[in-house]
Amino acid sequence: MPDMVSLSRAASGQPSQFKTPYSENGGTILAVAGSRFCVVAGDTRRTDGYSQTRYAPKVFRLTDKAVLAVNGFSADGNMFVNKVRQQLEWYRHGHARDMPLHEIARLMQTMLYARRFFPYYVSNILSGIEEDGSGAVYTFDSVGSYERDTCRVAGAAQSFMQPYLDNQDDWYTRPSVHYKNQRSTHSSSRPTQLPLSSVLSLVMDSFVNASERHVEVGDGLEIYVVLAKGSSLQGLEKLTGAQEVTATSDGERVFTVRRSLRRD
Amino acid sequence: METSFAITGKGYIIVAADTTAARSIVKMKTDEDKIKTLSPHLLMAYSGEPGDTIQFAEYIERNIRLYQIRNNYPLRPPAAASWIRRSLAESLRSRKPYAVNLLLGGYDTTTYTPHLYWVDYLGTMTEVPFGAHGYGSYFALSLLDRYHDPEASLEEGIVTLKRCIDEVAKRLVVTPGKYKVKVVDKDGIREIEL
Amino acid sequence: MMNSFADRFSTTGPIAELRKAQANVEDDQFSDAAWGSEAGFGSLAKGVPAFTVPNVPDPSAFLRLHTDDHADPNCRIKIQHGTTTLAFRFQGGVIVAVDSRATAGSYVASGTVKKVIEINPYLLGTMAGGAADCQFWETYLGMHCRLHELRQRERISVSAASKYLSNLVYSYKGMGLSMGTMICGWDKTGPAVFYVDSDGTRLKGDLFSVGSGSTFAYGVLDQGYRWDLTDEEAQELGRRSIYAAGHRDAFSGNTCNLYHVKEDGWRFIGNYDISQMHYEGPTGTGTGYGYDLRVEGRTSANPPPAAAAA
Repeated sequence: MPDMVSLSRAASGQPSQFKTPYSENGGTILAVAGSRFCVVAGDTRRTDGYSQTRYAPKVFRLTDKAVLAVNGFSADGNMFVNKVRQQLEWYRHGHARDMPLHEIARLMQTMLYARRFFPYYVSNILSGIEEDGSGAVYTFDSVGSYERDTCRVAGAAQSFMQPYLDNQDDWYTRPSVHYKNQRSTHSSSRPTQLPLSSVLSLVMDSFVNASERHVEVGDGLEIYVVLAKGSSLQGLEKLTGAQEVTATSDGERVFTVRRSLRRD
Repeated sequence: METSFAITGKGYIIVAADTTAARSIVKMKTDEDKIKTLSPHLLMAYSGEPGDTIQFAEYIERNIRLYQIRNNYPLRPPAAASWIRRSLAESLRSRKPYAVNLLLGGYDTTTYTPHLYWVDYLGTMTEVPFGAHGYGSYFALSLLDRYHDPEASLEEGIVTLKRCIDEVAKRLVVTPGKYKVKVVDKDGIREIEL
Repeated sequence: MMNSFADRFSTTGPIAELRKAQANVEDDQFSDAAWGSEAGFGSLAKGVPAFTVPNVPDPSAFLRLHTDDHADPNCRIKIQHGTTTLAFRFQGGVIVAVDSRATAGSYVASGTVKKVIEINPYLLGTMAGGAADCQFWETYLGMHCRLHELRQRERISVSAASKYLSNLVYSYKGMGLSMGTMICGWDKTGPAVFYVDSDGTRLKGDLFSVGSGSTFAYGVLDQGYRWDLTDEEAQELGRRSIYAAGHRDAFSGNTCNLYHVKEDGWRFIGNYDISQMHYEGPTGTGTGYGYDLRVEGRTSANPPPAAAAA
């Protein structure tokens, strides 16, 4: 048998006293890739059984061109974000630049798969700007399989929100006019030129809707917007509550937008 | 593993069922006829729980016959199928339901149309151009989607049936050995050798 | 001098803290980053991949409890299931065709999954079972195929590559890996297809199909298969078989990805919408594959001429 590293109290050989080391903390995350931007959003509610925490962020800025959203078991999620950030920092020291998005995606695969036999109970959505300036979304399962996407929802309200977004007009370039609602996930489709303002209002609407109908979605909405190098603000400057969180100059720019959702 | 097929063609229906009667890992019999003739133009292939199958099939057989004796004419295929399905559905809601799956093939002499009904033990019924029960259906249905022709001559229909049987023989782990094949058309029912 | 000597053995103070932190970090990194990026320095220096396992008496039972091993739809960690993949050898090379659907219970988690893994320009692997298991180990296999090339100064044979993968997954037998894959390619012996799964089975063959829709694919594939198929016929057969599975198996569908392997390596032929193939055919212009479209207007009724006239 290849190497196995047993976690923590391996030497003592004592089994854990807990029935399960996992929990499900609800909430929903979402990411959309535009042609030269991307939008990543998540609600801030965290549920533990019936009690709630009103502000527990699920979306994290990794670099100026990468944002990571985690959903599922929040302790695992936060742990995983920390570990990714640590790897990215080492990369920065070794290479004097930020790790490109597609490399972060592959790194995350290896990190998630290293826990194949004791998985992080987390759905990850990585989004940001690719080296060619295009917006990109990468979706991961809990043990590291991933694919590039244009629009992806994960978490409690996934099955409400994903079909709603899939069926927005002009979202995909459809091969024929009829059957258009049967072609929502056509793989040759690429993101259209849907403007940032439309994407933002779509995202906000989706979360408002989800919070109306799903008990685990609500409290607050935190949106990250990443703009490719040299793009204009596209109305972001006029958006109330928009705040720039970019760390470096002359590269991609990152903004956050916060909105409140139902708190009941 | 029990397998049955039925396909319609121009003016006929072919019904085929394997001929093994198995208990546990033993083949008890290899020439069992699992297709009943219910009336001059109606065939029924049955499969499922041993015991239930024969009891149910004989019950249906006698009642369809009784109808014909009382009224001097047989039930047409759609009516017979409805009644048989109802019998199964009522049985399902009884203390001891029959677990029997059916393929009903009949030729309606008044409209000159062959009818084929796929019925399962839950009382689900659909009229289909071709149908199959058992593990064989997993191999045959896609094949029939590809090769079935509603206007095929009897010879062509038999070729298509042979494709199904060959495919199951090729891929299914426990292959049924022999099949009994019956045809119903305007002239009535007859058994054919492949 | 004295200072550094003391530092070396002290268990408190900043240097000791740093030492402990470094030890932790190295330990963690070893298990967490596996064989991948070492802070970006992709490296095999540390040898075989290492995995974190839960500290319980039976780690694989723990995993089974928390993953959807078919039976329990409520369990927490979903692993992709439901697939149709096929590959066959013929006169003109190897055809590889797969669907693109990933399901979690009855939810279509994705309709755009790449189930053909491009190991290198001469080798393809297909994906059925655990998506991560296939993606990860076939990528890993790709690295070792490259190392083989560098060391032996020739390309690895399909047989050797598949054996490498087979031995690898066999060493994890019982731990809960789930993969059913076909390793396809062209080497000195010509076109080759090997079936490899997580039980440790490895089979050489002409024609395989794997996944929940495989029986439906076999139904069409077997009946249309000949060694002397032309390239076009073979590609059409692969496509048509995946359509059949997509149509009949609820857990397969969305689109078909088609590849053709020849002497000079593999080529991606195209992506075909299964719904479109049903209604309009693969090119979107001809008649669809759909049964009801194909037999439209045809009837099994055979009224005698007199009755038909009336």
